[in-house]
Amino acid sequence: MKRILISTICAGVILCYGQTWAVDLSGYFETQLMGADIKNQFYLLHSNKLRVDLYGELNSRITFAANVNAISYHGKTKWSVPDFISAKLAAGIPEDLLPYYVLQFEDRAVLDNAYVRYSGKAMDITIGKQQISPGVGYAWNPVDVFNYKDILDPTYEQPGHNAIRCDFTLNSRFSLNALFGAGEQWTDSDKMISMKGGISRFDFSVIFAERLRSIHDYLTLDPNTQFFNEIREKRQMLGGFIDGELLGLGIWSEYAYNHMAVSESFYEWLIGSDYTFNSQTYIMVEYYRNTMGKPDDQKYTFNDWMRYFSQEQKAICRDQIYLYILQPVTDLVQIGFSSIVSLSDKSVALLPALNWSLSENLALLTYLNLYLGDEGTTYSRDLGNGALIRLTAYF
Amino acid sequence: MKIKISLFFFICLVYRGFAAEPSGEAIIQKVNELLNPESCYARAEMTIVTTSGDERTFVYDSWSKNYGEKNLIRYIKPGRVRNQATLMLNHADDIWMYFPRTQRVRKLASHFKKQKMEGSDFSYEDIGSGNSFIDDFTSKRLEDGKADGIDCYRVELTRKPDSDLSYSRLIMSVDKTNYVPLIIEYYDEKDPQNKIKVLHQSDIQVIQGIPTAMKMVMHNTENNKETSMVIDEIKYNVNLDDAMFSERGLKK
Repeated sequence: MKRILISTICAGVILCYGQTWAVDLSGYFETQLMGADIKNQFYLLHSNKLRVDLYGELNSRITFAANVNAISYHGKTKWSVPDFISAKLAAGIPEDLLPYYVLQFEDRAVLDNAYVRYSGKAMDITIGKQQISPGVGYAWNPVDVFNYKDILDPTYEQPGHNAIRCDFTLNSRFSLNALFGAGEQWTDSDKMISMKGGISRFDFSVIFAERLRSIHDYLTLDPNTQFFNEIREKRQMLGGFIDGELLGLGIWSEYAYNHMAVSESFYEWLIGSDYTFNSQTYIMVEYYRNTMGKPDDQKYTFNDWMRYFSQEQKAICRDQIYLYILQPVTDLVQIGFSSIVSLSDKSVALLPALNWSLSENLALLTYLNLYLGDEGTTYSRDLGNGALIRLTAYF
Repeated sequence: MKIKISLFFFICLVYRGFAAEPSGEAIIQKVNELLNPESCYARAEMTIVTTSGDERTFVYDSWSKNYGEKNLIRYIKPGRVRNQATLMLNHADDIWMYFPRTQRVRKLASHFKKQKMEGSDFSYEDIGSGNSFIDDFTSKRLEDGKADGIDCYRVELTRKPDSDLSYSRLIMSVDKTNYVPLIIEYYDEKDPQNKIKVLHQSDIQVIQGIPTAMKMVMHNTENNKETSMVIDEIKYNVNLDDAMFSERGLKK
């Protein structure tokens, strides 16, 4: 792990200096402790993450950027899925498969992003691993077929995706974007095209994306791989978003229709609004519907839960609301409060949080995650009430 | 003939009188022109003296064009906010913010202007609202006074009923010789008698023929905090491409 990390940084630095690139090194170290009460046992997971960002400029048109993430985990690094689900569903799991239902946190060092960008007069071409984050929603992004947000921490950075992307600027508010991410074959490759524009106080975008979706049947094993049987199917998404201001309120909406080659097609819809009061209190609310999710908890299956935990589907329930309030207490401390409500199964999660700027480059985040739902619901107490403390040092 | 000459002197006298006694609107018009040059680039250092007495320093670049109609701010330091950028168009009626860690651009509603810049005593509406002194306020000249020993015009700006700015009124002390506002007092939105912030501008230098305050200190009278802004470098009438003031430019 260390070898990969050091080699990548050295290669980047040598490449940049060798080509007389102007080079900038930055990044952060993040140490995080989380704990959760699972079936009356309080477990701890401690992680340490180092992110090193490299940015080089050959000239005003050609730039290079990369970052490497190295993470180590300590404490309870294996979590058994049956601990989090209802006793009824857990009872239906084949006993011989029980050792497979483990969510494991493994040390890793990955080249997260690495790309070269050419910036022309009216066009940017970006080649390599890069963040692709379409959408304007805070907690969910229906038009984003690349990433899965952590509902407890939705603004956390997303991983890079390999792609060739062209951004054409048509005028000051209109642009055309095309993306291709190579798969094994053309038919397996990622494709996305979007048109973004702005009229009056609103921005909008129309997006078409095609991506291979990989999910698993978590009740049957593939005898060759000794892992769960994989189901691969083509997903075609047509959607868009709008983002602007109405009657003094910030307002945004995303919609995505997903045509699936094998399984049932579905749509996602999000609408949100926000406002900042003169007291600096910021309030935001989002409603999210995902018809892949089920309308009530009696219909959730074991596969639904496994796919949700494995980030193969964004939601297990159909309708949800996210409420967020942020209030600066002093110039250095902000308190936040998030509440996520599943309208489908009447469960709630509460997340009081505190952000403390300890120094210019040192930030502390801590939050409690309190689940109040009944057994088997999206935000059931069985998910484990707990807390997280994260200290981030930037350089 | 005598009558004509007298009339001429009378007209000159009246004209001179008007010229020497500009109205509140005329003063604010001059201030507005001074603060919104055709185009401008600046690198500034913003230092916040926190409630705990610590100092936090931010360095940022800013560009403006079309007499303050377009503004772009990009942070250089510290690392926590490096490359975070804010684009304000139409005199900050349209705001976009770029977050480099997630590489997302978010359009923000105009209420966002009320938020503080990185916890400082400057809000975004203090920085990038362009023609706000004219569009959002009516001006009334008060009795002249002195600020830091300099003769000043004093003007009261009262918020227009349809404006959503955070201040009910401002009182500005404007240097009579160059129209630089040396002191601006900001009053609470709900209580026009409650002074909540005071901005002091100093170290006036003439850069490319334009009188420029190289130092600004915003003092928060409610919590006794203050934020200073020092201009390290400034250039007027720079050639800025319109493409810079777009989402693409924001992400650069």
